[in-house]
Formats: sequence, structure tokens, C-alpha cells
Amino acid sequence: MKNFLIFLPVTILYLSFKSTIAPGLPLPDITVLAVLFMAYERSSVEGVVLSFVLGYVEDVFNGGIIGTTAFSLVFIYAAVHLISRRVHFSNPSVRAALAGTLTLTKGILIWILLSLTDLDVPFLPRMLLAATVTGLFAPVFIAFFTWLKAVKITGVAGGGQR
Amino acid sequence: MLSFIKRHQVILASVILCLVSLHLVSTTRKGTGGDVIVRSVLSVVTKPVQSALIGIRSKVVGVWNGYIYLVGLSEENEGLRRTINQLVEENNRLKEELGLNARLKELLRFKDKTPVKTVAAEILGFSSFGPGGEWMRTLAINKGSGDGIKAGMPVVTPQGIVGRIVETNRFTSTVLLLTDPRSNIDVIIQRTRVKGVVEGDGSGGLILKYVRQLDDVIPGDRVVTAGLSTIFPKGLLVGEVVSVDKGEDNFFKRIELRPAADFRRLEEVLIVTGGGISMKQGKMEGTGAHEPFGRESGRKRRKPL
Repeated sequence: MKNFLIFLPVTILYLSFKSTIAPGLPLPDITVLAVLFMAYERSSVEGVVLSFVLGYVEDVFNGGIIGTTAFSLVFIYAAVHLISRRVHFSNPSVRAALAGTLTLTKGILIWILLSLTDLDVPFLPRMLLAATVTGLFAPVFIAFFTWLKAVKITGVAGGGQR
Repeated sequence: MLSFIKRHQVILASVILCLVSLHLVSTTRKGTGGDVIVRSVLSVVTKPVQSALIGIRSKVVGVWNGYIYLVGLSEENEGLRRTINQLVEENNRLKEELGLNARLKELLRFKDKTPVKTVAAEILGFSSFGPGGEWMRTLAINKGSGDGIKAGMPVVTPQGIVGRIVETNRFTSTVLLLTDPRSNIDVIIQRTRVKGVVEGDGSGGLILKYVRQLDDVIPGDRVVTAGLSTIFPKGLLVGEVVSVDKGEDNFFKRIELRPAADFRRLEEVLIVTGGGISMKQGKMEGTGAHEPFGRESGRKRRKPL
């Protein structure tokens, strides 16, 4: 539930920001970073459902084909869940590389789904740019998410003590 | 069995939700689709956020243009700087008003000239689909079903066609841009009257399809709506031919177009609310129902997933 309260508003704010202040600019993919954070921090069924919801909201907000982003984010969550059993993501450079790779994976999955629905979309080089930007900003955003979650936990604990 | 499910619950949940997603893709692939309730809730939540962000952006741009460049002058004379700042601020405001005035005048002229009923709307935001790309583009406008807007209505500017409404909520609507690969319009080359179908190419440009090798098309030709379908009135400018190639199948040419409307500079648009109207040499003709999510042209059908 905590994850819902944090990541859903963050995603809606991010999508609003992207559509008004910075349309067309390569911004880090917050949804991929949120999914990555949730999956390696402590994977759970709630995390899978939230990944689906974030993808669905992104699809609805951006006017894309419903289900494409939802599918790719759930896939990414499962992939990170499996990888995190063997690899630790404590190093910022490892996180950056993984975030970049996952953004690329998201793009490729969406591209494959769109191709299956007979929509001709080019395999844009901008996808690589988006992956690079997401990778570069990953350590900052993951630190931000960690802080946000810690603030929330402290607040809840404080409330309980009273 | 229970322990197996418990041990692999994340993977099982992922598989189930992946299948649900694939089902959604296969059922909503033709349009923007989606749950109307989710869209309405998102629209109500995000409209004030988007309006606030647009306001912040205008203020920041105003401060940047009005103050930052004038910091040096403050060292010469405090009073003079204040006056200059006030004048610059006023000038910026007037320039903005002037720009708005010019744009609205142009819209009004176009509105008067066009024999269809239109409603003006402001753009709330652009949304692009695909990671970092422009595969699919839609925009949100500040007029919705409460203002009489319905799915399928064409959206235009004096420069040319912008797209069509694909989704309406009470306060806002979503416009599917001309450059989106899901957009299809029956068109005609203005000079030679050759017919074709314009589709978005998924990267901000347009492709003119189904023009035969023997048809006369050259770069610079203007392409206008043919008015064969129920959505777009005849004679609206769609774009200009920028390149003509032989194509891969030796039967149809491959023609690239530049959209007439500059989507990066759009601020206001007109929605044609006439309802199933086509213009023929200045006259209007009612032509039936809209086709909100379907193709404007029936020439090509997508194969099922």
C-alpha cells in the first residue's frame, strides 16, 4: 500500500510534467526506475500489481495502446525479481547500467507488441537516448525513492507511537 | 502445491498480469481505448496539475526573459532598472497579448471563412507514447463533452489539419494527431487531383500511400482532404510533398509529406463540431455518423492479432 501511495502520485506528476513543461525532451523513465526500485528492494505480489497499474496509467495518459506499457513493466518487474537473486544492485554504476538496459527492454517490448498489432513504427535511435538518460539519472532517483520511503516509514512509526 | 504457489507467487502474478496486458493490447489495438472511468479520473486529477505547470512555465519564461538578462543594468541605476523591469514586464505581457491576439484573429478569420461550426480550444499538454520516441502522439485540450465535443470530430488550425478527437471527458478531450500511425485520411493532390491515403509514419512525419507509379506527383505538391469519408471536410490542407521515391513494390510510389500544421508551436486549435460534414466548393453536406476509433478510409484493414 505504501508503494501505491508513493509511486502512483509520483508517476502522475511525472506524466503531467512531461506533457506540459518538457514535451519531446528526453527525460528519465520514472516508471522503469520505480519498478526497478520496487523489485530489487523487496519483491512482492503488490509490486507486480503496482507495476501493472503504473503501466496502465502511462498507457491511458499517453494515449498509447492500452496494455503495451503495462505488459513491459510487469515483465521488467519479473526479470529484476529473478536477477536480484543472483546480483546485488548496491553499486550506483550497476544500477545505472541496469536501468538503461531495462529502459531499452521496455522500448523493445513495446515495439514488438506494436509490430504484432500491425502498426508500423520505426525503431527509433531516441530509444537509446532515453535509455542513456534513464541510466544516468538512475542513482539520483533511486536515492530519492529510498529517501521518500524512509520519510514515509518514519511518519508511520511516529504516528504509531503517539 | 500451496507452498509452490507461495514460493513462486511473484512470478505467477507476473505471468497472469502479462496475459491480462496482452488481452488488453489485442482488444484495444485499434484506438486509444481504455477504461472510460480511469480516463475520467485521470483527467480530473491531472487537469489542475497540468494547468498549474503551464502557469509555472509561463512565469519562469517571463522571469527569464524579463529579468535575468537585465541584471547588468541594475548596477547602473536602481531606479532606472525598476522602470526598465516594469517596462520589460509590460512589454513581455503586451507581446504575449499581441501574439495571442494575432493567433486568435487568425483562428477567427479561418472560422469565418470555413462554412462549418467550430469551437476553439486551448492545448493542455502533449503526450508521446514509446520510450523517448514519438511513435504515437496525442494532445489534451481544455474542451470536453460538457462543451459539446464528441469523439470523431476533426481538429484543425488555419495552417491545416491537426487530427481528430478520440476520447472525451467532461472537461477535456484527447486528440489523435495526424502523425500518429493509427491516423488515416483520404486525400487528394491539389495540382493533379490524384487520390491517396495519408498515414502517420510514427516519427513526426506523414506518408502518402496508394499512389501509382504513373501518377503525377512532385515535391512541393500540396495535399488536401478528399472529403470521401465522414470525418474530415473536403479541401482542408494536410501537408506538402517533400520526397517521392519509386517504392519497394514497383506498383505504388513511396511519398513523404511534411504536415501543414506545426505541432511544436500549437497553442490553440479549432474543433469542427458540425457533425458529419463535408465541404464541397463552399457548400456543406451532411454525410452520416462518425467513426471515432476506426480508420477514416476503408481501403486497408489491419490483420487481427
